[in-house]
Amino acid sequence: MKKIILKINGELRSVYVEPEEILLDVLREKLGVKSPKCGCDRGDCGACAVLLNGRSVRSCLVLAIETDGQEIVTVEGISKDGLNKVQNTMLDKNAFQCGFCAPGMIISTTELIEKNPHPNLEEIKEALSGNLCRCTGYLPILESVQEATKEEHHE
Amino acid sequence: MNDLKYVGKPSVRIDGKEKISGATRYTDDLEFGPNLHFAAIVESTEAHAKILSIDTTEAENFPGVVSVFTGKDFPFKFGLYMKDRYIFAMDTVHYVGQQIAAIVARDIKTAQKAAKLVKVEYKPLPAIFDQMEALKEDAIIIHPDLGEYPHVPWFFPQANTNIAHWRKTRRGSITKGFEDADYILEDTYTVPRYAHCPLETHVAVGLCDLSGRLTIWASSQSPHTQRNLFAESLAPLGFTHKDVRVIAPPIGGGFGGKAGVSMEILAAAIATKVRGNPVKIIWSREQEFYNTSQRLGVIAKLKIGVKNDGTFTAIDHKLYWDTGASAEYGANVVNAVGLSAIGPYRFHNISIDSVCLYTNLPPCGAYRGFGYSEFMFGLESHINRIADHLKIDAVEIRKINAIKENDTLAYGVPMNPNGLIECIDKVTKEIEWGKEVKSENPNIKIGKGFSLIWKAPAMPPNASSAAFLKFSEDGSINILVSGMDMGQGYLTVMAQIAAEILAVPITKIRTENPDTDRNPYEWQTVASHVTWSCGNAVRKAAIDAREQIFDVVSRTLYLPKDMLFLEDEKVKCKTKPSFELPLKDFVINGIQAEDSTFKGGPIMGHGIFMPEYTSADSDPETSQGGHPNVHYTVGAAAITLEVDKDSGEMHIRKAVEAIDVGKAINPSLVKGQITGGLLQGLATVLYEDMRFDDKGKMLNPNFTDYKIPTAKDVPDEIVPIIVEVPQPDGPFGARGVGEHTMIPAAPMIANAVNDALGIRIKSMPITKEKVALENLKKKEKINV
Amino acid sequence: MAILNDFKYYKPQEINETLQLLSEFKENAKILAGGTDLIVHLKEDLVKTENVIDIKGITQLNKIDISKDNIFLGSGVTFTEIIESPELKDKLPILWEASKKVASIGIRNRATVVGNICSAVPSLDSAPALLVYDAEIVVQSKNGKRNISIHNWFTGPKQTILKPEELVLGINIPITIHAGVYEKLGRYRGEDLAQAGIGIFVDEIKNYRFAYCAVGPVPKRMKKLEDFLQGKEISDKLLEEAAELIPNEISPISDIRSSKEYRIHMMKVMFKRGLQESVVILKGGRS
Repeated sequence: MKKIILKINGELRSVYVEPEEILLDVLREKLGVKSPKCGCDRGDCGACAVLLNGRSVRSCLVLAIETDGQEIVTVEGISKDGLNKVQNTMLDKNAFQCGFCAPGMIISTTELIEKNPHPNLEEIKEALSGNLCRCTGYLPILESVQEATKEEHHE
Repeated sequence: MNDLKYVGKPSVRIDGKEKISGATRYTDDLEFGPNLHFAAIVESTEAHAKILSIDTTEAENFPGVVSVFTGKDFPFKFGLYMKDRYIFAMDTVHYVGQQIAAIVARDIKTAQKAAKLVKVEYKPLPAIFDQMEALKEDAIIIHPDLGEYPHVPWFFPQANTNIAHWRKTRRGSITKGFEDADYILEDTYTVPRYAHCPLETHVAVGLCDLSGRLTIWASSQSPHTQRNLFAESLAPLGFTHKDVRVIAPPIGGGFGGKAGVSMEILAAAIATKVRGNPVKIIWSREQEFYNTSQRLGVIAKLKIGVKNDGTFTAIDHKLYWDTGASAEYGANVVNAVGLSAIGPYRFHNISIDSVCLYTNLPPCGAYRGFGYSEFMFGLESHINRIADHLKIDAVEIRKINAIKENDTLAYGVPMNPNGLIECIDKVTKEIEWGKEVKSENPNIKIGKGFSLIWKAPAMPPNASSAAFLKFSEDGSINILVSGMDMGQGYLTVMAQIAAEILAVPITKIRTENPDTDRNPYEWQTVASHVTWSCGNAVRKAAIDAREQIFDVVSRTLYLPKDMLFLEDEKVKCKTKPSFELPLKDFVINGIQAEDSTFKGGPIMGHGIFMPEYTSADSDPETSQGGHPNVHYTVGAAAITLEVDKDSGEMHIRKAVEAIDVGKAINPSLVKGQITGGLLQGLATVLYEDMRFDDKGKMLNPNFTDYKIPTAKDVPDEIVPIIVEVPQPDGPFGARGVGEHTMIPAAPMIANAVNDALGIRIKSMPITKEKVALENLKKKEKINV
Repeated sequence: MAILNDFKYYKPQEINETLQLLSEFKENAKILAGGTDLIVHLKEDLVKTENVIDIKGITQLNKIDISKDNIFLGSGVTFTEIIESPELKDKLPILWEASKKVASIGIRNRATVVGNICSAVPSLDSAPALLVYDAEIVVQSKNGKRNISIHNWFTGPKQTILKPEELVLGINIPITIHAGVYEKLGRYRGEDLAQAGIGIFVDEIKNYRFAYCAVGPVPKRMKKLEDFLQGKEISDKLLEEAAELIPNEISPISDIRSSKEYRIHMMKVMFKRGLQESVVILKGGRS
């Protein structure tokens, strides 16, 4: 067992892990961070997405021990002080149905907007194409991100 | 109707914030403490075999293993409409993946390691992977005891065959109908199996405490039906319904796959033997593909006769379904289609044979559309071909034959009010039907495809819904129901209905997730029926509560009861405009009378809804005489499709879909169903391609090779159109819509590809590879 | 799914440290970079190992070196880092395009080009570009360094010439003036493993280079096609003739992803369209 220390949603946390333990499982079972989900366990669906040092990664394909000394952000952190603009737009447009893909979608969206505050539709599609959704047909999610990120025209 | 304040509004869903902030707790998110155990399942590697022996010694002795179970520990049958499956395989396995044993340990790794140590010896038997093989005289009989299986009275299993059920519908005379025809087209359409692919896999936790109380938490569309099946199948162990409680947390998608019972029974059964400790079973994505119910495959032989003016004269529709190793749910799909495989058309001469066949593939069950997507692929393709031959426009021929209110359905009952023509007209206008579109890109050909939509809920005649409604001190409301919001927005719609009756905003209404102890009965959340059925129950519960409110106000404050009304969370009086009494002042504590005593007390409504006019009793040879379906929801849809003539790649420029929902209680959620359902339908025709090897093993049980669409695969534009011809017995006129939206996808693609390239593909999926190679063949024929 | 196999985890900070571990463990160690292949294989029990060596801590491997004639991509360089480099987009457009077509962003943020070539799956997206670029792989062991030409790298499906005690340091790619594309056949627009792939390189003196992936046991250059077109001006007629050489250059199979017939057909289609586009780009346009 090794003790690793990582920053999760702004808080320093320590946990004991075996080398073969997967980050997704350690987040959910040992650290109580439930928003990343296991959808396929092999990196195909994006439901497990978290931000690792600012980049979206499949936490089902990362060993927990690799993240020692690093920083992780999940939807709990993003929503800590209330919903942000994109999340509020998603809420108003009823962008999600069952909600299982929502955390992963929001992680991908967060990474996109950090790099590119006013993405066009193609860029949004590319950013979200690694997150599978079976319920919505994607359009309301894409529309929400488009609307929340469109350039403001100041008078 | 036009001064509705909550119904008909695109309200924000009441569980939206929870989902978007990551706060929703799905079943695998729940904490069960340090005594949580895990079960790993040993699965059959044979499609059809006798089990000669199961050696669990090594597994039992593996350090950390708590217990090992096999079929002999639970020799009990279960099934929804027919009891034809065991909890674990007994002496025979019927499909690759069937559960044979379970290993329980305190951590999942130990359980999985030990599971690999179980040794099973098989004696392989001939296996059947094709329903037409199953039908042959000399085919091996997969269920030799078929004749003894208990089943609902409206199923007709044929003992000593592989026919689990045969629904025959006969009306008029097809012999005469075909004689009268000027043109007859006969052909076969093939639709394979499909997987639901909810993002959340099946998961169930069972806990049987030391007092004998069995609780199951499950990702489920049907908590009450599950409780019923658990209690029935575990009765030999001494359990009855009173001992069993099912709690259903929010689910990550269902699509029919979490209806009825599949793997959940494993958790329930195992828990009874591992008393005092919760046991979790969670399915991997692979298991989700091959060991939960799949959508039935069908081979449909269709013959339609028509007059030169386009009027249909006769239909002979023979559908052979592959239901896999168990028909306990799949046979009802076959039944539903057997009653409806005429489509939304007027036919006087009808013969439908819908035959449910066992094979040695995974069991099939409910899947969004319940057989209608499957038969409409063939029917709507066939009608286009007939129209082409007669040189009648494809939409025109449908309008000529479209079923109208009071026309007779296949089983002899009049058709309900419906806006089918309105849907057709609105769709053809929006898609600019008849106007040819050309692409600037010389490699792209553009075609348009059209299809009608129809479906009725397929339910037993006594499927019912019930609701409790109670207030709190702040005037807020809890609605207790047992339907499942799997994303369609059911919780919100129930709140909107109650809000409208009780004048309380939906932000002050909670609709609670099912708990069979606390929430009253709901048959299942399937069939696109809960908005209608449970909506009626909630409406009645709200009216009941309103009655109690008016009653206590009128007798305590001496106001005329019939002049009272509710507005803005207050009781008001038409004849005394100055009177207003906030609900929160008395809905718990009662109203203080002149003599200082209190009248009333907690206001609590209850409502139930069960259609009392449906009956499954009919002539088994003709299906005439009963009233099996409550009503049909209809619609129409069209697409403009770009096809790359060399690669076969297809891309939808525009899709239009109109559904007559009776009343859109929440238009935003209805549009969500249209967009989402359409894409799921398009996925089945364009991308999803389930493959089995010649030994019955699924070759692509993962998202790498079973493709569901991504954000890059969406149509450029989807136009949802809501049509509202009220359903007379629906809450505010509402009818169901959840499944219908996927039904037109496959035939629209087939028809659009035909329009663009002149090739007709009669089997699904219609992948870009198929289109490209068919087109090449066509070019080669022309060049020769 | 848990990983059922127990192993030790090492995170060396220096190359020498790594080489020491490799010489000790040899076949009994796996290098971990992005993990997008290794972790799946460990979960599905396709790979067993007692030692995992994480190379992400070695700074010398995490760099992109661009000089006048050469670009060095270290073993730790991810596909995202390639995509986000305007210089690489400009100087190695075929590799840049291939990088964009690998899986999805969540995978590209971790997966490395070197990891891709070490996996050596027949459908790997980076191979056609590296083949037309005549890339060289730099490897080192305790016994010294050597350069291996990409043309000798792949020895069979999922097999490379790399020895168990060797560590890949990175890839050297010579810089040339050229234009080109990477065309990939997938089942739809979303992420997919290539069912056929072709890298197309054209330069101003009418040198043409072509390389495929997914339609043979190892990715390879298409010499007959190159020889046929060498020095010629591209025309529709020439393209048709050249396309007919393709079936002899490749040996696709039929599997659950695609049939042999469709793969051959699409290689011809992608070749024609890709070469036309490359010529347009070379002349300064963009389709």
